[in-house]
Amino acid sequence: MKKSEKINGYGERFGLIIAFFIMIITISFLSDRFLTLPNILNILRQSSINGIIAVGMTMVILTAGIDLSVGSILGLTAVITADLLHSGIPVFLAILLGLLLGFCIGFVNGLLITKFKIPPFIATLGMMTLARGLAFTYTQGKPITGLNESFRVIGTGMIGSIPLPVIIAALVFFLGYLFLKRSRHGENIYALGNNETAAEFSGIPVKRYISLVYALSGFLSALAGMILIGRLDSAQPIIGQGYEFDAIAAVVVGGTSFTGGHGSVWGTLIGVLIIAVINNGLNLLDVSSFYEQVVKGVVIAIALLLHRLAQKKN
Amino acid sequence: MNLKETDIKDFLRRYSVAMILLIMVISLSLFSWRFLRPANLINISLQTSIVAIVAIGMTFTILTGGIDLSVGSVMALCGALASGCIVRNGFPIYTAILLALIIGVGIGFLNGLLIVKGNIPPFVATLAVMAISRGLTLVYTQGRPISGMGDDFVYWGSGKIGVLPVPVIILFIIFLISYIILRHTRFGLHIYAIGGNEETARLAGINNDKSKIFVYMISSFTAALAGILLTARLWSAQPNAGVGLELEAIAATVLGGTSLMGGYGGTGGTVVGAFIMGVLANGLNLLEITADYQRVIKGIIFILAVMFDIYTKKEKKKG
Repeated sequence: MKKSEKINGYGERFGLIIAFFIMIITISFLSDRFLTLPNILNILRQSSINGIIAVGMTMVILTAGIDLSVGSILGLTAVITADLLHSGIPVFLAILLGLLLGFCIGFVNGLLITKFKIPPFIATLGMMTLARGLAFTYTQGKPITGLNESFRVIGTGMIGSIPLPVIIAALVFFLGYLFLKRSRHGENIYALGNNETAAEFSGIPVKRYISLVYALSGFLSALAGMILIGRLDSAQPIIGQGYEFDAIAAVVVGGTSFTGGHGSVWGTLIGVLIIAVINNGLNLLDVSSFYEQVVKGVVIAIALLLHRLAQKKN
Repeated sequence: MNLKETDIKDFLRRYSVAMILLIMVISLSLFSWRFLRPANLINISLQTSIVAIVAIGMTFTILTGGIDLSVGSVMALCGALASGCIVRNGFPIYTAILLALIIGVGIGFLNGLLIVKGNIPPFVATLAVMAISRGLTLVYTQGRPISGMGDDFVYWGSGKIGVLPVPVIILFIIFLISYIILRHTRFGLHIYAIGGNEETARLAGINNDKSKIFVYMISSFTAALAGILLTARLWSAQPNAGVGLELEAIAATVLGGTSLMGGYGGTGGTVVGAFIMGVLANGLNLLEITADYQRVIKGIIFILAVMFDIYTKKEKKKG
């Protein structure tokens, strides 16, 4: 049973990788600028922010939940971190406080869901409105610009020829993999996603894990926010709006099931890259940005239908 | 459980939501003398009517245990299509409106097919359709507003019959129809049955698939209608119209006591829920609270309302 599930998982991911390569080959035929090193690095850098958020989202969706507040948490923690930097505290401390704040907001999401039994969709929807409102209230709608140079390295720095955000994202994916597949905690998260009641009866502290997953999602959103404002040199209260959509899209395209308990961060990685390549390809081919959403929506729908088809066959 | 008992409980629950609205109205009229002026009340009902119409359709999907995130985009697309057909192609206005409504219903059919035949969770299926519809709106309008539809079209959003704005009257008609469908037809009974327990409904011989597809068609229809009314009220079709409106519609539905798990609630509560939000927004404006704080307050009230809903449900179980 378990083995066949595993094979099924590989089969699905294999199909996804093939689709990804077909996309790459097609676009590289259509545009000679596509497969150049600067462009590839560009794609990776652009996808690093969505990638970091999507790792947290993967964990949340594995528990059969959803986190709609990631974009707003990103916005709120970004403006507060920027303000802390302006107040002159050490950069290291500002980053730490910002990440902690993201973790705490995520934890509140978890509490609303576990203690007050509010459906994840609604709890994080409320938090999305709330955090965005706080970001606007905090800044009175004005951007905070001119950030500390040593802070900006997090978004603009390079190690060798590889942008620092890409390295951070790679690290997040690797740690996410270790956490989910190589630790007891990961096993418990899959178990509770599969069947919450059964997991509870077998002694897994379900509520604690659910809170943890949302806290991690908030933490990663805050991290992504710092990379974003480091790159932009400006923290606007509106930043991160709609990011939840891209993150959910990446997770779903990557084959993580909405009913929980099935999926992985590697699938999500491919999902993130597919979305980034689509965006990049549309740009290179001079397709109006108006088509971007149409294409994204269609790709998500097709990916979902294909997954269902693969599941039915087995 | 006999019928009378459920009737009383039903009444009490709806009564509690209406009580909240009443308390809000009373306290706001004490805080601001402008609140109870007829012009302000008519203004509130005009502003609320469009959200309420969308929320009525949303209630149908939520009653089956589903959700429709595409309503905001469908609004924008259908509003733009109706205006575009009139301004660019010179269609007669009622042909244009009819065409936009048919396309709206078609999108709902697509939602339903993805959910029922594709077996995709409603949340993701409608999320994808939301992106597609918004993208199509941007493509169709080229990102620019469409205006110049003429007075006959604008009448549907800005006109009045007596003292009442036309959208308010349309809201009333839509509500009546929805009430009759839900309470007095077999289809309405099926919706509650599916939301209560899908498997049981299937075993009882209900065609779940057909009913569910219908429900998403209804939701898209009300969204399309609201989109046309909004376009007529603003005298122009904005490509970003209705962004985030799905959240307001869901909030109105939940505030109105419809359970997100499906099977419990109704459109009467939803209309009251929409008015609670409308009165709240209006009150916060009158009290000169800035838009930023309004968001914070709305978020908190939304969460509190759901907590209240879950709490009362628990009480009901105990009782």
